[in-house]
Amino acid sequence: MGKDWLELTSEIMNNLYRSEEASARGDAALIVISLFFAGLLVVAFTSNPIATGTKPGERAPLFSGKAYNGDGWETFVFDDLLTPEWTPNSTDDAPWIAVEFMDRLCGHCVSAASEVGDWSETYVKTSNWPGPDVLFVAVHVEFQGSSSRADIEDFRDSNGHTFPYFDDDGVGSFKDWDIGATPTYFLVQPNGIVAWNSGIQNLAWDAVSEESITIGDPNGDQRVKLNEAIEQITLSYGGATE
Amino acid sequence: MNEYVILSFHAVIILYGVLLMTPIGEAIGSILVNKWPSTSTKRGRMLAGLMFVCTGGFTVSAHTLWMHNKLSEGGSVCSGSSILNCDGLIGNPDYNTVPFIGQPWGLLGMVAFCALLWIVIVIAKEPLAFSTPTFLKAGLGATIAGLPVIGLLVSYEIKEGLICPFCTTAHIANIIAMVAFFVLFKMYESDEWAPELKKTRK
Repeated sequence: MGKDWLELTSEIMNNLYRSEEASARGDAALIVISLFFAGLLVVAFTSNPIATGTKPGERAPLFSGKAYNGDGWETFVFDDLLTPEWTPNSTDDAPWIAVEFMDRLCGHCVSAASEVGDWSETYVKTSNWPGPDVLFVAVHVEFQGSSSRADIEDFRDSNGHTFPYFDDDGVGSFKDWDIGATPTYFLVQPNGIVAWNSGIQNLAWDAVSEESITIGDPNGDQRVKLNEAIEQITLSYGGATE
Repeated sequence: MNEYVILSFHAVIILYGVLLMTPIGEAIGSILVNKWPSTSTKRGRMLAGLMFVCTGGFTVSAHTLWMHNKLSEGGSVCSGSSILNCDGLIGNPDYNTVPFIGQPWGLLGMVAFCALLWIVIVIAKEPLAFSTPTFLKAGLGATIAGLPVIGLLVSYEIKEGLICPFCTTAHIANIIAMVAFFVLFKMYESDEWAPELKKTRK
């Protein structure tokens, strides 16, 4: 059986090599390959695709589900926060988005809750912040143990937070966002491009040059915090009020 | 330019191919006869029509790849409040890449239609070759293999409650190509494939 198959393959290859029909196949292949690459070139020269991911410069993965906003659990769609037409030179006040992946049972998340609450109230125009508004979203994941929605409500309310808490249980957006530990913070441009990822620290995305840039560590504690990233990145673009 | 005007360019290429394959193809194919004499025969018109269909399928697939890239940049290429909406499907990261391969569907379409086009050109260049039935079967098999893929993509459309007109045009091109390969295969088994040889034999 194996020998027959081998003989048949060898016969076909011989025919391909010797037969004049091979020139028809070769000619056809040339035409088709030329067409294929012409098509690819047109696509390549007229578009500039951006990969989906969480490194600075990549498009933030989208997620949707239920989020608690203080009044109840409502449908939350991450895309709704975005302003796709935003550009670095925009003069409108499109908001940036700060995403915190947290677990109410994680000690670092509990200790950070107070300052995250403060930041969410600081980076809005009404508090005399000169930059664009930054919308905060907490994504609750279950890394340490299970939590009910009532537990998430308690955590949010007891910390006096006013931003939505998204319940990632059953959604699994933490996988798309490549979350390995909590808390992990992201700063997302209004058009959905990741500007900063706390897991990568001092690397940020410059929307003007469309290149990665290094941001400083003002406190000198070898760690760039979300508020430091917000202040260094957002103020360099339009949308700021004088 | 409106996206549906651009879509009509692809559709016109496919439609011209379909018309060439129908009985009125003899009349509308007359402009091709001087340049390609083989289009004076029914077989020639069928093959020429199939080339147009595959070319239209290729161009519309390339267009969906372009849309995929544009949507990743954050633009909007074909959205609206109606059920006809490409952005919600081509721009949806849950559905817009081939499972396991991770490449955009448009790229798969470009490869598939190029492969079909290669088969058709080889058959057209050597219609009386011994390998012709093999190529006809390969074309028929490849287009039939495209049906489950179309089924999967249509299931995404149903799930999202949207229709992507560009994707649908590529799906229709595949189905037309499948029917055309079937007709060509039947034609090969009859005397219609090479009527000149039939006359010679008589």
